[in-house]
Order: sequence, then C-alpha cells, then structure tokens
Amino acid sequence: MSTAFFYALVGVGLFCLGLYTLIVQAHLLRKILAFNVMGSGVFLVLVALAKRTEDALPDPVPHAMVITGIVVAVSATALALTLMLKLAKETGKAELAGEGEE
Amino acid sequence: MAAIFLEIPWAVVLILLPLSGAMACFLWPAVAKSVGLVTVSMLALSVAGLVWQVMEYGVYRHAVGGWGAPLGIDLYADGLSLLMLAMTALVGLAVSIYATGYFEQPHAARFWPLWLLLLAALNALFLAADIFNLYVTLELMGLAAVALSALSGSRDALGGAMRYLLATLLGSLAYLFGVALLYHGFGSVDMAILGQRLEATPIVWAALALMTTGLALKTALFPFHFWLPPAHASAPAPVSAVLSALVVKASFYILLRLWLEIFGPLGVEGVETLLGLLGAAAVLWGSVQALRQTRLKLLVAYSTVAQIGYLFLAFPLAAGSGITAWNAVAYLALSHALAKAAMFLVAGNLLRFGGHDRIADLDRVVQRLPLTVTAFALAGVSIMGLPPSGGFIGKWLLLEAALQQGRWDLAVVMMLGGLLAAGYVFKVLGFAFTQAGVPHESKTVPASMEWAALLLAVAAIVLGFLAAPLLALVGIGAPFGISEVAP
Amino acid sequence: MEALGLLQWCLDGLLGLGLLWLAWRALACSDLFKAVVLFIAFGLLMALAWVRLEAPDIALAEAAIGAGLTGALLLSALARLRAIQANGTIVIPAQQAAKVQLSRWLAGTILLSAAIGLGYAITSLPPEAAGLSAEVTANLAASGVGNPVTAVLLNFRAYDTLLEMAVLLLALLAVWSLDGLPTAEAAAGPVLDTLARLLTPVLILVAAYLLWVGADAPGGAFQAGSVLGAAGVLLLLAGWRLQPSLAQLPLRLALVAGSGTFVVIALLTLLSTGRLLAFPPAQAGTLILILEAVATVSIGVTLAALFLAAPPGHKEKL
Repeated sequence: MSTAFFYALVGVGLFCLGLYTLIVQAHLLRKILAFNVMGSGVFLVLVALAKRTEDALPDPVPHAMVITGIVVAVSATALALTLMLKLAKETGKAELAGEGEE
Repeated sequence: MAAIFLEIPWAVVLILLPLSGAMACFLWPAVAKSVGLVTVSMLALSVAGLVWQVMEYGVYRHAVGGWGAPLGIDLYADGLSLLMLAMTALVGLAVSIYATGYFEQPHAARFWPLWLLLLAALNALFLAADIFNLYVTLELMGLAAVALSALSGSRDALGGAMRYLLATLLGSLAYLFGVALLYHGFGSVDMAILGQRLEATPIVWAALALMTTGLALKTALFPFHFWLPPAHASAPAPVSAVLSALVVKASFYILLRLWLEIFGPLGVEGVETLLGLLGAAAVLWGSVQALRQTRLKLLVAYSTVAQIGYLFLAFPLAAGSGITAWNAVAYLALSHALAKAAMFLVAGNLLRFGGHDRIADLDRVVQRLPLTVTAFALAGVSIMGLPPSGGFIGKWLLLEAALQQGRWDLAVVMMLGGLLAAGYVFKVLGFAFTQAGVPHESKTVPASMEWAALLLAVAAIVLGFLAAPLLALVGIGAPFGISEVAP
Repeated sequence: MEALGLLQWCLDGLLGLGLLWLAWRALACSDLFKAVVLFIAFGLLMALAWVRLEAPDIALAEAAIGAGLTGALLLSALARLRAIQANGTIVIPAQQAAKVQLSRWLAGTILLSAAIGLGYAITSLPPEAAGLSAEVTANLAASGVGNPVTAVLLNFRAYDTLLEMAVLLLALLAVWSLDGLPTAEAAAGPVLDTLARLLTPVLILVAAYLLWVGADAPGGAFQAGSVLGAAGVLLLLAGWRLQPSLAQLPLRLALVAGSGTFVVIALLTLLSTGRLLAFPPAQAGTLILILEAVATVSIGVTLAALFLAAPPGHKEKL
C-alpha cells in the first residue's frame, strides 16, 4: 500500500472518529472540535489521493480545494463558537436543549 | 437596444450584483435599506433578462476565466436553473419589500448585507455546473442562513440557529467527501464531464451515499428533519420565509442535478425506493405534526417538512413516467416556495399585530387584517393542492405519474397528505374568525408587509394557470433528459 | 534505497497513527482545556502530514489557520465560556445511562461499517491517476505565476476564491450581527507587551515575503493573510485596540477590500474580454499580485476581527 492510500485511510478514520464524537457528545465545544477533525479527515483524503500522479509533482487542484476548505472551516468555526457563547450566556450551559438523542 | 440587452451576461450579473450590494450595505449601513431594495429589484430584472436570453439562444454556458471545464469552472443555465432563479427573484423581491417594513435599525443594518449575500449564494448555486463550486456556494448559503436565523437574538432563535448550523455543516462535509471521491475517481469536478465518464464502481456508490445523505440532511428529509422546525419557527418572519421557500430547495436542487446528470443513469432503484419511502414518511409525519401544533410558525414549519416529502416522492416514479414526475417536482418546488413564503409572512404579520402567534388566540383577525387572512387562505389552497393553484398542478402531475405506474401506495399517501393539509389550514382559518378568550392590544401592520404576503399568495394561485408556458420554460436544455415513455 | 524506504514508512506510519491517536485523545478528553491543546497539537501534526504529502502550501495554511488561528479562537472561546458559567448558574444535565449506551453502540457500529465501506471504495481506486495535473502544467505558462497551486487558486479556479472571500466576510458579518461577546479585560504583562512589540513587525515582514514569493514558490495570499491575522491577534491580546476614528468606515473598507477588489477585477475582465475573470496572459501576473496583496490585508484584518468577535463600539465587559 502506498503513501497515498495510507493517508487517505487515515483521513477516513478521522472523519468517522469526528462523526462519532459529533453524534455522541453533547457539549457544543466538543462538537466544534469534532467538526474540525472531520474536516481535516476529508482534506487528507483529497490531498493524499492527489499524490498518485506518475511524475514527482502531485495534482495541484485538490491542494487549492483544501486551502479553500480550510478557510471555509475557520469561518464556520468562528461563527459556531460565537453562537455557542451567546447560547451559553442565555441558557447557562453550552449544550443544545434536549441533547442526548439524534 | 434590444440586441445590447440580449448580449449582457445576465448570469454573471446575477452573482456579482448581490455581492456588490452586500458590500455596499456593509460599508454604508445608513442607506442599507434603499441599496438592498434597489439591488433586489435589479436582480429581478436580470433574471428576466436571462430568461429572455436563454429563450433566444438556448442554454447558456459561461466558461469562467476562459479556461473551460475541466480545468476551469463553468456557469450553466438551462430551464431548471431558470425556474429556480426566477423563484429566488420573486420570493426575494417580496421578502425584501416585507423586510423594509419589518426591520428597524439596528437590525436592518445587520439584515441587509447578510440577506444580499444569501441571494448571491443562491444565484451562484443555481448557475453552477461544477460540484466543488457548489460546495463553496452551499457553505456561503448555509452560513448566511444561520446568521439570519439568529438575528433576533432570543434564546429560541439562538438554539434553533445552532442546531441548524450543526446540521448544515455536517451536510456540507459529507457532500465534500463525496466530491473528493468523485474527483479522484474520474478526474474532474464538472458535472457534464462526470456524467460522461461515470461507471458503476465502489467509489461511485460511496460518493452517492455520502452526497445523498449530506444533501438529504440539508433538505430536512425525514428522519433528518429535526433541525428545521426550531430554526424556521424562531427566526424572524422574512427569514423563515426565505429558509422554507428557497434555502431547502437549493440543497434539493443539487440533489436533483446530481441525480439527473451523474447518478441517475446508473440504475439505482434501491436508493430511489428509499428516498420515496422517506418522502412518504415525511408527508405523513410532517402533516400530522403540523395538525398538533399550537403556534402558527411551528405549524407552518412542519408543513414545510411535509411538502418536502412530496418532492422526494418523484424519485421512485421518475424512471417509468418520463418527465412527468420531474415536471411535477419543478412545479411543486415553485408553488411551495411562493405559498410557504406567503404563509410565513402572514405569521409575521399576525405576530406583529397581536404580539403572539398562538393559533387559538387569533382574535377575529379576519376582520382586522383581511388582506393577511386572504393571503393565508390563498396560500393554503396551493398547499392543499386544490384547483386553481400551482400546488394543484404539481400534485396532479405527480398523481398522474403514480397512477400511470400503478403505484397506488404513493397515490394514497398524496391523498392523505392533501387531507391533512386541509386539516391544518382550516384549523388556522377557523380560529381567524373566532374571538380570543382574552382580548389583546393590537399594533398596526405596515401595508408593505400585508401586500407582500398577499402578492406571493396570489402568485401561487396564478401559477395554476401558467402550466404550459412554465413547463415549456423548464424544458429548455432538456434538464430531465429525453422521456422514454410517451406521457 | 531500501533503508530510506523503510525509514519513510516508519515516519508515515507514526505520523498517521499519531494523527488518529491525537484526534481521539482530543475528542475524548474530559477536560476541555486539555482537549483544545491536544487539538492544536493535532493541527501541527497535520501540517507535518501535508509536508509529507508534498503540499507545502497547505502546510503553511494549516499551521497558520488550522492550528494557529483556530486554536486561538478555541482558547479564547473557552476562556469566555468559563467566565460566563462562573457568573451564572451551572446546570448539570441528568444522565440517561442505559439509553446513551445503546445509542453509542449503534452509532459506533454504523460508523465502523461506514468506515470499512469507505476504505474499501478508496483502495479500489487505481494506484496511479493524473487528475488535472496535466492540464495545469500545460496552461501554467499562460497563467502568470509559477506556483501551480497559486495558478489554480487565483486563475483557473479564481471564481471559487472570489466566493471564498465572500464566505470569510460573511463569517465576520455574522459574528458582528450577533452583537458581540463580553471581552475580558486585557491585562497585558510586560512579557506579552515586549513580545508583541518585537514580533509584530517580524510577522508583517514574513507576511509580505509569503505574499511575494507565493507566485513561484509555496506561499500566497491565504498564508500571508493568516500570518498577518496572527500579528493582529497578538496585538489584540496585548491590549491594543483600534482607534475609534478608524473603527467605522476605514475598518470596513479594509475588511471589504479583498472581495471588493475581486469583484471590481471580475467586472473589468468581463467588460474587456467578455468572460468573467479571464486574465490576459500578459497582465495575469500583475493582476494576480494585486488581487493577492489586497486579499492578504483583508484576510489578516478579518481573521483578527473574528478573534475579537466584537463589533467596534461594543462596550460590554465581563
């Protein structure tokens, strides 16, 4: 198994790990961390499989996509954190009402 | 003069104009309202221009940057995109007029940039031909929608917005994973090229699963609907209208496009059946829940869950019915957008009027807000699927497709859904005539708010008379493929 | 060489497993502060993974944005959360032990099967695939820059970047529309103060370098902008605030400049060539540099403003 596929599988692992935490944990900060881990997983899949080119240089299009993705992720994280803090200020806890089930 | 009018790249204008408008509103918040209204009016004109252009020249494809797919990104406008763009422009215009009366400073200064960015995202989404570009527009739309939902700052609004944010981010991420798999499987992110290169390999099944699940979550298909009622009910009324009318349709549009261009030809009956089943569950469950609600906005939100189910009923019917099922979807999406937006604007009017939206306490509003109640009644006609209305045409086409193939189960579900819809619409109308137990102090509702709701509802009814030209428009570019079965 | 190959394999194995282990520890840790710190370490390890995967542009972006700025946002949010919960009453949710256990097992099994399915799908891909690298190489000369990633981001797929700048601006608009958060009184000690004074000019210089060199080597607007954002965060931590006279229109102009310039150039190219964002090869390099320069400033200011999370004029203190 080459480097590319190894890292892609690590990416799948991160995605599923993050998704599990997202579903199971109730605290909003943990959910936000889980999202970031999931995002990193998807980016790993994108970039790792881009390394399968025949010559030395990897495919640059997925690299550009991942940079876009990282910026989108930080924007979403900033918004999510602010929402979480406003919610905590209103309700006293950083969790959604009625958490614990899907 | 007409020649120049036809040569302007209206598709590009549709994207750049709201972006500029949003920035202008942000830089000069004092004039946000006027700038916003002017921008939205010009958007409506641009959509008209694009429709004219496509009717003259056929489908519009613009290679951004001059590179062309697969290296560059393409913009693409066929009949289906035009329908969605026109829906966005119409609902957008009505909601903008409504918003001028609804929001005061400082809320107005926050609303307009976010709203214009949401419009830009919607237009860019409906014009996109590239699945990664769709991801970026999805995120832009999702974040704008969340920000607009949380605008009122109340505890319910913040909770609803947070739930919405989590659902939308999860949906986008699953979708992006699918994009990654498709790109690495077939070397392009352009939908037309992918449609040509696709073969039934495990990578495609994985991408199909991921993207369908992600988009179904964003469209609030049962059982992923849990985030919709709190978010749509606690948002400000014009925002709820936009969320139910436009935003959920956008992710559905993407799912539809992926289906038509990429996944459909693979022969995925299992997934079609599943989607149809979930759609049926959504229709029944959503309608029953709507009947049980005591607050108007929650009732309307659950009605959205039910109506979305109708859209998914077309998937199992599409293979055998030619384009009838997909035409039904187009009609249903458009009429639902108009009718549901009208209903939410009505709810906003009632909220402004009485300070609450409890259905049982609607204090003889039929006398005091006749325009508003008329709007609700007309919108209700479309939602129930009674003639003459757009909803009737849509449901008729869908029923026809179901009966053609002997799908009595789906036909029964549609009938039941219509009955239940009648139930909750008449429940609201009934209370509009009765006197409340405790009289409430009433505030005046600006004329712009009442008229905006009424005009949208009337449009939903007028749609019932426009079947032939509308379906001809949708057919430009054959978005639904060539029908194998003669209708 | 055999030994080198084995060494690389060990390195990759350690890196990959380290990523999974750190992610699991960060997500499962009971102390939130530890979790955030582990997440930052995870981000830095990701940057190493990007280097291993020959993606230096992404490594720079991940280190600056993914680990650095996201980490700063998380730590700041955690501090504010603790302050909010210290002031108010803390509600402890009741435990539903049995039901939670069942749903966890269910989620776990479903996700495990999903992981296996996805893994199988990925390994079924051909071991060699060019993707779009051939097209990029063929058109690189006409794109105006030498770095293929910059060429894709700012020429071939510049439309995505335009929308992405809008996303960043939108995030800030959204955070500001939520009416700001209580800010902690910045009590900057002498160490932080000196550090800020020393590092800020260095960071600005590094940002300028990354911007300039991004045309032909790893770097570019996003990396430079995030370093600039880091400088902004450092200044904010040290207690510096923008003068009120600059905080209204000039600040807004700086925030909007990146996407605004993009739209203006988009319109100009549309009017002159009839195609959106079509850069004539002769002017492409200059246009890209202008775009990147303005975008760098905008991105830096936006990221710093996202960290502060309070619109100008917001007075509420913890």
